[in-house]
Amino acid sequence: MTLSYEETERLAIQRMELNRRIKAVLIERLGLDMSLDHLTDDQSLFGRGLGLDSIDALELVVGVEDMFNVSIYDGDMEVFGSVNKLADYIIDQLGGVPVL
Amino acid sequence: MTEPLQVALVTGASRGIGRAIALDLAKQKYTVLVNYKSREADAANVVAEITQAGGTAFAMCADVAKEEDVVSLFRGIKQKFGELHALVNNAGITDDGFLMMMSSQKWDKVIAANLRSVFLCCREGMKLMARRNKGVIVNLSSTSGLTGQDGQLNYSASKGGIITFTKGLAREAAKNSIRANVVCPGFIDTEMTKQIPRELLLKYIEMIPLRRLGTPEEVAALVSFLVSDKAAYITGKSFVIDGGLTPI
Repeated sequence: MTLSYEETERLAIQRMELNRRIKAVLIERLGLDMSLDHLTDDQSLFGRGLGLDSIDALELVVGVEDMFNVSIYDGDMEVFGSVNKLADYIIDQLGGVPVL
Repeated sequence: MTEPLQVALVTGASRGIGRAIALDLAKQKYTVLVNYKSREADAANVVAEITQAGGTAFAMCADVAKEEDVVSLFRGIKQKFGELHALVNNAGITDDGFLMMMSSQKWDKVIAANLRSVFLCCREGMKLMARRNKGVIVNLSSTSGLTGQDGQLNYSASKGGIITFTKGLAREAAKNSIRANVVCPGFIDTEMTKQIPRELLLKYIEMIPLRRLGTPEEVAALVSFLVSDKAAYITGKSFVIDGGLTPI
């Protein structure tokens, strides 16, 4: 079924807000000295990307659980690949894009 | 000015040591969450006793050996109270028997009720405490977990596991300013020890230097101390309360 323009726009806005909230959690929980605008949606969060490590992942787990009521376990670690991957995981766990 | 709410969850708090811990923490002005699995009336009595004494308590049903129950329990705590200051993992069972005849079901049942419950509750409790970078966890082990007790290797293994789990937990949790310690009671006057045949119990009492069973209130006083700020520099440690029984 093809979505209407209005429906597509609404989902896009919700997705953008979700990604923005995830970036806010990243910056707040990890104490990153950067603005939201400098974090891209597909930038790698670990290793050569943002340079986070496994201890930082724990802080993210707490932040994501706190904000979205979504749990992340060690079998799901690939979700920390990027903001978009984390957003996709949250949408999958919640059964849809959360209205924030 | 109203003091901020301090919330403490005690698992298996409908009777015995758990009940005594709940009552003592309520006296320390904690809002106590009295967890129970099936003894709803007993849990309600604990809540009533706390309330009548001027404290605040709520009964919360969950089988802490089951992941879905524990996740739901802590989600409920987060929704209702927003945070958790203290977690006391007291829930536990015995199902004794000698090893060569011990079924896998009997083994799994005790490991799940005693050790898996601690893993699940600490995992979910830590996430709640880490939001505020503050919290205290006390896990109830047993002298059986220190020495190994013939006739109850499932119980000994579960309680021994709690000790090493908590040592590691204290290291993981420290970066979020969460402390974690263990209390190892010996023979305490509860329904659990009442199941020991009388002649055997009398023999055990003969081995205890203080020549008596401990009381749930004495264990509760130790737990309350470890939860309090008086124990602010204590983490990753095990405390034995056994009348001198265990040579450790």
